[in-house]
Amino acid sequence: MRPAENINNLIKKLQLKASTDLDRRVHDDISMALAESDKTKSARAEPNIRRTIMKSPIVKLAAAAVIIVLVVLGLFEFIGTKNTSGVVWADVVRKLQASRGLIVRCRDLSPSSGDDYSIAYTSPTYCRKDFYKDGQIIRTSYVDLTGSDIFTLLDVFHMRKHSLTTTYKKSDYGLFLELDEDWTNPSFLVEKILSCEHSKLGQKTIEGVLCEGIETTDPASMGPTPEQIDLLDVLLRLWVNVETGYPVLFESKTSAKYDGEVWEYENVMDQFQWDVELDPGIFEPNIPSDYERLTWPEVKEL
Amino acid sequence: MLEDKLLILKFNRGNREALRSIYEKYKDDLVTLSAALLTDVSSAEDVVHDVFVSFIESSRKFRLTGSLKGYLAACVANNARNRNKAGRRHGSIALDETGPAAVDSNSPEFHAIFGEELHRLSWALSQLPYEQREVLLLHSYSGMKFRAIAQQQNVSINTVQGRYRYATDKLRSMLDGEVEK
Repeated sequence: MRPAENINNLIKKLQLKASTDLDRRVHDDISMALAESDKTKSARAEPNIRRTIMKSPIVKLAAAAVIIVLVVLGLFEFIGTKNTSGVVWADVVRKLQASRGLIVRCRDLSPSSGDDYSIAYTSPTYCRKDFYKDGQIIRTSYVDLTGSDIFTLLDVFHMRKHSLTTTYKKSDYGLFLELDEDWTNPSFLVEKILSCEHSKLGQKTIEGVLCEGIETTDPASMGPTPEQIDLLDVLLRLWVNVETGYPVLFESKTSAKYDGEVWEYENVMDQFQWDVELDPGIFEPNIPSDYERLTWPEVKEL
Repeated sequence: MLEDKLLILKFNRGNREALRSIYEKYKDDLVTLSAALLTDVSSAEDVVHDVFVSFIESSRKFRLTGSLKGYLAACVANNARNRNKAGRRHGSIALDETGPAAVDSNSPEFHAIFGEELHRLSWALSQLPYEQREVLLLHSYSGMKFRAIAQQQNVSINTVQGRYRYATDKLRSMLDGEVEK
């Protein structure tokens, strides 16, 4: 007989799969409970305009674009952006707004990350993200932003062979990327840095490209935070190609003390391809026929 | 752990996807734990459902002080224990709190829970007194520390360690030779 560790190892082999019936029950409960919560919230709170602006990724600027430009220009006037080093940051904002499509590699460097990296394809009206693990796509997310006040998120989980469609109301939740993908959207992050107190890093060469950088350590860049965060250290750093004015590298590190424990989060985005004309076909959801399709309740009226 | 903290932060802020992500991340482990405790898949899924209903209701006030997995495992164990006691009161499940589980552990349905490969183990687990089984599964399967289990069961850490020791000894004797395969 081997020692107790072998019993532990054997016990760890126990593995059941939750049934699709349980999936439906729990997801329905989540949708219903949060819809109730939304009603209560909307009854007592006026929209927070500043927060809405902070949420807005440039890919979905539309109505918010004018306001953001005004905010950014206002900041530039205050801090003074006239420089002789090559990058005019207001131009960066404008170029990102005008970019037809973007392809970027995103890496979550946290130990608990479930994927090795993801590739995001973003157009002004659609977003798709492929998550890779060990060279295979384990999940694909599609976002349809064409609705006037709704957007749809479709997640296809390839390992579990099911898809999940969720519809959101923009006026309720702000725009998509603040919710879950905010730290992997470069356009959004440029806004974040520029709208907070930031400093210039000068120039350096990254993979043969002369770049100029800025960074912020202003916790306000994280937006409103829950009360229970005791300490919050933030570093958002952006390097832009001096010649083209497009970002080439973005790094973010967050460290927070929360209920007596410190947690850290780190992301890197690189391999940017800006102003790409993306084939609309890549945004067409591709769900294999043998996948279970789950849909969660439509947008609830507020 | 870090991912869990982030999920909880988002969860506190009412983020739907955080809730769904928490469920998706842990559902299989929780169903497995529950089924091993109750030796019944249907009841096991009811337990996990109940736990998530309570978890959803706690949305904005929930504060994570340890591991999220451990917290959810403890919730499942509490709910399963209550269900076990209720079943005993109503006579539908004759599980004794201190005696071995009186389920029909030879039935094909029971063996089918974890498949043929592990049927000896699931049978042996079902022969353990419920509280020993709970300690063993929470520690060995869910990774909870003895101290956390003691708090969850409102008993001393010595009692928990004793239950664990008895449970592993009994399993060893029942599975003699099996665990070496």
